Amino acid sequence: MQWLKFAFLNTLRNRRRSVVTLTIAAMGTAAMLLAAGFAEFTYESLSESAARNAGHLIVARSEFVEKEEDVPMQYGIQNYAALRKTLLADAEVRYLLPHIQFSGLISNGDKSVVMMGTGIDPDSEFLVKGPFLKITAGGVLSSTRTGAPQVMLGEGLAKSLNAHPGSSLTLLASTSENSLNAVDVEVKGIFSTGIPDYDKRSIYTDIDTAQKVLLSDRISQVGIYLASMELSDTARPRIEKLAGNGFTVQNWQDKAFFYRSVRDLYNRIFGGLGGIIALIVLFVIGNAMSMAVIERTREIGTLRALGTAPAQLTRVFSMEGAILGGLGAVLGGASALLISIFLIFAGIQMPPAPGYSTGYPLQVAINPIIYLIVIALIVALSTLCAMLVSRRSARKPIVEALGHV
Amino acid sequence: MKTPSPVIRLQGMSKTYRMGEVRVHALIEASLAVAPGELLALTGPSGSGKSTLLNLAGLIDTPDAGRYLLDGRDVSQLDEHARTLLRRDAIGFIFQGFNLVPVMTVADNVDYPLFLAGVDAPMRKQRVAEILEKVGLSEQARRRPDALSGGQRQRVAVARALIKRPRLVIADEPTANLDSHTADQIITLIHDLCQVEGTACLVATHDERMTTRCDRIVSMRDGCILADGLDTPHVAHATAA
Ligand SMILES: Nc1ncnc2c1ncn2[C@@H]1O[C@H](COP(=O)(O)OP(=O)(O)OP(=O)(O)O)[C@@H](O)[C@H]1O
Ligand SMILES: [Mg+2]
Repeated sequence: MQWLKFAFLNTLRNRRRSVVTLTIAAMGTAAMLLAAGFAEFTYESLSESAARNAGHLIVARSEFVEKEEDVPMQYGIQNYAALRKTLLADAEVRYLLPHIQFSGLISNGDKSVVMMGTGIDPDSEFLVKGPFLKITAGGVLSSTRTGAPQVMLGEGLAKSLNAHPGSSLTLLASTSENSLNAVDVEVKGIFSTGIPDYDKRSIYTDIDTAQKVLLSDRISQVGIYLASMELSDTARPRIEKLAGNGFTVQNWQDKAFFYRSVRDLYNRIFGGLGGIIALIVLFVIGNAMSMAVIERTREIGTLRALGTAPAQLTRVFSMEGAILGGLGAVLGGASALLISIFLIFAGIQMPPAPGYSTGYPLQVAINPIIYLIVIALIVALSTLCAMLVSRRSARKPIVEALGHV
Repeated sequence: MKTPSPVIRLQGMSKTYRMGEVRVHALIEASLAVAPGELLALTGPSGSGKSTLLNLAGLIDTPDAGRYLLDGRDVSQLDEHARTLLRRDAIGFIFQGFNLVPVMTVADNVDYPLFLAGVDAPMRKQRVAEILEKVGLSEQARRRPDALSGGQRQRVAVARALIKRPRLVIADEPTANLDSHTADQIITLIHDLCQVEGTACLVATHDERMTTRCDRIVSMRDGCILADGLDTPHVAHATAA
């Protein structure tokens, strides 16, 4: 007769109560895991999209990061070709995403609209963006174009200019020499980022065209796309060294304001929710255990008379708590896993988030570490809870416990 | 004839309960000794202090005054931990309500004291089989207590109390829940097993018929030990304690 076997048999005494307790522990665990998985999936999606927009690491001249430019490209990177060669020497660097940020007007002859432009390297940019940029008409820019300079317009911008692939437009911007410059461009394609505010203003063009508009041979910054997100932190010091003095290397998180604010918000919401669920589970287990303790008071007295130490009895009750909480947690983990897998295939769409035009698939991440932590937490708390509620009764005077009816 | 030294010797044991303002002198300077193998019956009206005396002798309660020698060792000042160990190793209990653990089989109930004492598994198995044989329950070993009759349950309890070969067995009204025929069997069983093992046994009872099976009868009233059954042979030595 081992203690654990005794504890297990004890959980079968009042099966209905045990089943209810176990079910609530399972539901609580599943809820915690699904909430955590949903948050995790959201973080992953957002961080992925942030990294594909700007790169995992962003190299810019220190002045560019610290100060405001008086004229466009004032603190731009002078010799990108050389920097490019240096950075590509690092084995973990997959793609470089040189960017030129500029703003001005875009006109169809009748109407001019404010635009935010990004000059890019089409080869690497669209490879990296992949599914994160939806092309709604036309095609993407090409590095081997012949003929007129090309742009891609955000959906809203194209609509407001009544532009289509093939339309001719004019870009107007103030240059690095503090003058105004205009360049005629042709619309190559139309894209949607899913954020209407952004699509209403943004255009992409190639680096050459952007430099031509700005009368500059510089670029604003270069994003570094690594083999994976996890490499960011370790790669950063190496890249800093490679880039050398005068450059600042930022992590994608430093620039991902949206990601950070969503994360802060979700951590608070789901953290609070998780805390409440854990409390409910604890309360249910504590309640079941204290009922078990009261029902068995006379048995506690008997076993104590037979020479059982209070600590041994407390241990049996703790094991019972651990069994209920543990089985519940494992069942809950299994259900959460099944639901998560189901969601991958179910293709359930969530409505668009505020500020977004399209919804997103409802999915939850399956993170083994989170599963382990949550299950361990539930088991630990159940055990502790059972120990606390049984301690007093296990130390009750024996004669009093024996007299209990 | 030289009688062996007693297993337990109580000297001037007193216990007072407080209920608000009222004090109940449940036991007043009781002195008693029980010899090895002796079955001593405590009789007396309800409230006379029998259970109180048994609880003190069983080390599940503490006296307000008096000395308690168990096998010649003074155990009246022991702390709870030491008393737990002593109960585990030297004292067996039989209760009026059987007090078996319902989720354990008959064999596991009987095995429990040996398990507690850390006896190794093969030895335990053998001893459990032996004692179940003695109490006539070998067939019932794998059953749960609730599948047994009252008499059978009390046999399990007797086996549980005696399996560790204790120095002392405490039985508070062990036959009160049984019919007279079964009661007779149980008390005979306790008597025989204790005699074979040289275990001292203290039984509290109302049952007049039961006392005929006992080696000695001590009656109590209002917390005092009145008199020993005068016609029992050990009396002189025992009360001289
Ligand atoms: N926990 C307690 N609190 C207060 N008084 C108690 C307590 N236990 C026993 N008493 C009192 O002590 C006295 C002796 O009680 P005890 O139980 O020893 O009698 P008893 O001889 O065993 O009686 P019975 O034959 O009814 O079992 C009684 O007056 C009883 O009311
Ligand atoms: Mg009594």
